[in-house]
Amino acid sequence: MKFLKSGLAVAMAAFMGLAASQASAADVELAKNLRIVIGSKSTGGDTYQNSAIVAQALADKLGINVKVDAVGSSAAFKTLRRISNGSTIMIFHDQSYLGYLYGVKGYFNIFEDFTVGPTVAINPGNSYLVPKSSPYQSIEDIIQACASDKKIRVAIQPGGVSEIGFSALKNAIKLRYPGKEANLVAVNTGSQSDKNQLLFDGQADLINGSVQANEQYTQLPAEDQKAMRFVWLTARPETIKQTKPEGFGDTSQEHLLDFVSPKASVTQDGEKDFTFDKEFFFIYNKKMDPAIVDALDEALGEIYAEGKIQETQKKSFFIPNFKPSAEAAAYLKDKMGQYEVIIDSIK
Amino acid sequence: MEFLSYLSPMFFALVGFGVIVGIIFGAIPGMTATMAVAVCLPMTYALDLINGLALLLGLYVGGISGGLVPAILLKIPGTPSSITTTFDGYPMTQKGEGERALKTGITASLFGGIFSAVILFLFAPSLADFAIKFSYVEKFLIILFALTVIASLSRNLLLGIFSGVLGVWFSLIGSYDISYGGNGEYRLMTDAMVPYLESGFSLLPVLIGLFGLGTIMQEAEKGIREEVGKGKKLDLNGGTPFSFSVFKGEMINLIRSSSLGTFVGMLPGVGGSAASVLSYTQQKNFSKHPEKLGKGAPEGVIASEAANNGLTGGALIPLLSLGIPGDSTTAVLIGAFTLQGIQLGPLFIGNNLDTWNTMMVALLFANLVMFFVMFFAIRTIVKVITIPKYLLYPGIIMMCVVGAYAINFGIMFDVWTLLFFGLFGYLGQKVGLEVAPFIIGFILGKQAEVYFVKSLESFGSLTIFFTKSPIAMVLWVLILISVVFSIYGMIKQKKNNNKHA
Amino acid sequence: MPCQQDHPGETAMADGSSLFKVSIDFDQSHLFFPNIIHWILLILALLIALTEGPKVLRKMRARAEENRGPEASGEKDQTRKIDWLRLLGMLVLTILYFYVMEPVGEIFPNTGLGFLLTSIPFMFLLSTLFVHTPGRREFITITLSSIISPTVAWYVLAQMFNITLP
Repeated sequence: MKFLKSGLAVAMAAFMGLAASQASAADVELAKNLRIVIGSKSTGGDTYQNSAIVAQALADKLGINVKVDAVGSSAAFKTLRRISNGSTIMIFHDQSYLGYLYGVKGYFNIFEDFTVGPTVAINPGNSYLVPKSSPYQSIEDIIQACASDKKIRVAIQPGGVSEIGFSALKNAIKLRYPGKEANLVAVNTGSQSDKNQLLFDGQADLINGSVQANEQYTQLPAEDQKAMRFVWLTARPETIKQTKPEGFGDTSQEHLLDFVSPKASVTQDGEKDFTFDKEFFFIYNKKMDPAIVDALDEALGEIYAEGKIQETQKKSFFIPNFKPSAEAAAYLKDKMGQYEVIIDSIK
Repeated sequence: MEFLSYLSPMFFALVGFGVIVGIIFGAIPGMTATMAVAVCLPMTYALDLINGLALLLGLYVGGISGGLVPAILLKIPGTPSSITTTFDGYPMTQKGEGERALKTGITASLFGGIFSAVILFLFAPSLADFAIKFSYVEKFLIILFALTVIASLSRNLLLGIFSGVLGVWFSLIGSYDISYGGNGEYRLMTDAMVPYLESGFSLLPVLIGLFGLGTIMQEAEKGIREEVGKGKKLDLNGGTPFSFSVFKGEMINLIRSSSLGTFVGMLPGVGGSAASVLSYTQQKNFSKHPEKLGKGAPEGVIASEAANNGLTGGALIPLLSLGIPGDSTTAVLIGAFTLQGIQLGPLFIGNNLDTWNTMMVALLFANLVMFFVMFFAIRTIVKVITIPKYLLYPGIIMMCVVGAYAINFGIMFDVWTLLFFGLFGYLGQKVGLEVAPFIIGFILGKQAEVYFVKSLESFGSLTIFFTKSPIAMVLWVLILISVVFSIYGMIKQKKNNNKHA
Repeated sequence: MPCQQDHPGETAMADGSSLFKVSIDFDQSHLFFPNIIHWILLILALLIALTEGPKVLRKMRARAEENRGPEASGEKDQTRKIDWLRLLGMLVLTILYFYVMEPVGEIFPNTGLGFLLTSIPFMFLLSTLFVHTPGRREFITITLSSIISPTVAWYVLAQMFNITLP
């Protein structure tokens, strides 16, 4: 249903875009040199890649220069706050509000302080892994282990995307076996290599990782110290179904689905399963001219209607996911509300 | 030998182009190899993987190597890993041996680069397995080991150590970064400073502020006199001319430094600058004439440069056999792979033998191009120091501004950092603060914190630093040797001084 | 922020000396290392005061005496004298340069022109300040260098390599 709706929106935006593209160029002064600041400092990471793909498409479509600067979240928010003329915009993902929910310094309520723009893509890779030799075969085994008072140590990066799955898991244990959630403990660490290292050292039983970074480790023979196994992908099943049938690396889409709800079930409220898709979206200065918001929506609508960007995104294991600003903001606000409940319940 | 079909003239042209652009980036104070790779990454969209990698590897090798030019000629490290090159390189320039120092450095770079490429080719997977034996505890000890250099670099032991610890202190300002596993809380600053210092001071602006602006301030104090331009130093080859005999007796130094560079490079998270720092200390410890180091000894330049080019192959080891970057530049390289839909990880080499082989060719070729381009361009490059200071210094400040502003992709505060640390270095030296220990403390401080605190968080006991593993114990022995050597050197020097006095 | 932090080593280490046991509260862990550094700095500062203090005092006293002596070598003073004009002039120019760069840049967003337009006068003024024998030849080289070098830097970096400049 939702999918249909966004499809319709795309079609409509595309239609309106076709009708209005001539006119809009005249009434909205889009910056000739658009700067996109991103919430990550890495130029090798998924945020940068995603933004680079979108930036390239926008530059081709609008005939302007678009460049992506990996300034990191606090500098990006700071710059965005200062510049309201639309010459600088931001692209980030769910971290932008999760950081706020977890109370990390330097994060704000983006829905109050900024304007949330369109979503462009999903990184479906957020996952949890165990050593290949682990006694736990599934995420359910881990829940049961906690229920029977075994301590499970989970390596995560605190305060955001890496922690939300951990919080959800804790919440699920609390719902099913109240009081036992204390058996699930966080080992707070940093980068992916640090998380892997904790697993190799036997300092963690479960780690947060990603399909992209960890898939090859799951292909190693069990006797290799580095061998791992997926137990849970937090993505929605319909997201994984949009990947190519070959899936990623040597793991087919069908196999990936084994680790996704409903097969790997972590309940959110006793009824439906918790899911988390890392979605990339635009963030604007609150005072930016609404006409620019519309113009960018329109341009992106046309880009997605053409269908070329989807291929590029899928090649890098991103799931295309265009929602125009208004729809995206409402959707993300709801998403934040749901996670707020989870985080509050395990505080 | 199927991969040979991938080696087109285009491939070699791209490596060559990459190396030259890389050298230019590396040679500009404040522009780094990472920067070069990052800005050229979009160019590879249009190329296929192999040609794209050819360009990027060229940039990587060129960028790391180019850093020695300003380090030697101007005492401004072009990249963080060439700090130790300034210690002996610049005194050589002052003696009129700039060209000799450059040629020595370049030859050492070539050796380090080729050495590490060969190690990478032959042992990548098994070394990666060794690298993952280094957990927080061992990594902390490596950092501690590197920090012992402070003792041997100090002119006055107490003041030097104080400067080093002060450097550590400055590196901790800001938030305890969650991306390293911290809790994101602020420390060591007031609320008013938060908007500027949230993420602390960045290394590069601090570095070029201290060495670049700080030095220019000292010169300005003296009235910018053209001592270098007039008199004996106009002769660029005043001292001993370069010949390959400078490497006589330095084989052990070359191999040790290259190995240290490769080794530090392959430990994810320890960071490139530690490599040259470590090998410089070791050279000082093992040298027959430790008192000459820091006063223009070619062996110091050799140790530093062999190590920082040894880094290139080393940092590629975890990247290609674990999918984990060994330093900041290889972190950018990951983007090039994922863009082409190539997956990095423990199976990469086996699954992509052709790519692997061509990468090795690119790496070797890049090192050769680097050597020949620089070796023959030196005569021109070295003329930089004949530019009158009144023209040169404003230009340096301008380039420092570019570098500082661009390093974090457009942050004005980094430019102010430049000025702040320029002043700090200038005034600090007046009260006896030592710049070299300070900057080394600054570079290693953050990692020392994370690895120390995380080790304790995981194990809950200080004894773990001694008992964790045999590797830890070996590292302790090395640390002890290093400390004993530097104290012994200090005493010997004092005795010598007393004799002369 | 969650405050769970695990100490898996606790039981294993229980037989070891409890003297070395350390438990770090994650919420406060940002202060743990800085505190250690503060102590080290304090101890070092005390040691320095003890060892260097007397030396410095002696030196100061010696210098005071030297100054009293009228025959203080004039030549030595010449080289030691601080060139306040060049030093302070450089500081003022640099501060101004940094200060106006970004506002100027915001007139032409994301073009790097803020850098170009402020660098030219900065370089010109600083070179003029630094030069010792101002003449026609120097004036021409200064003018050329202060126009050409920022322009080349701007063109190559901001235009060709798309690097963000103010």
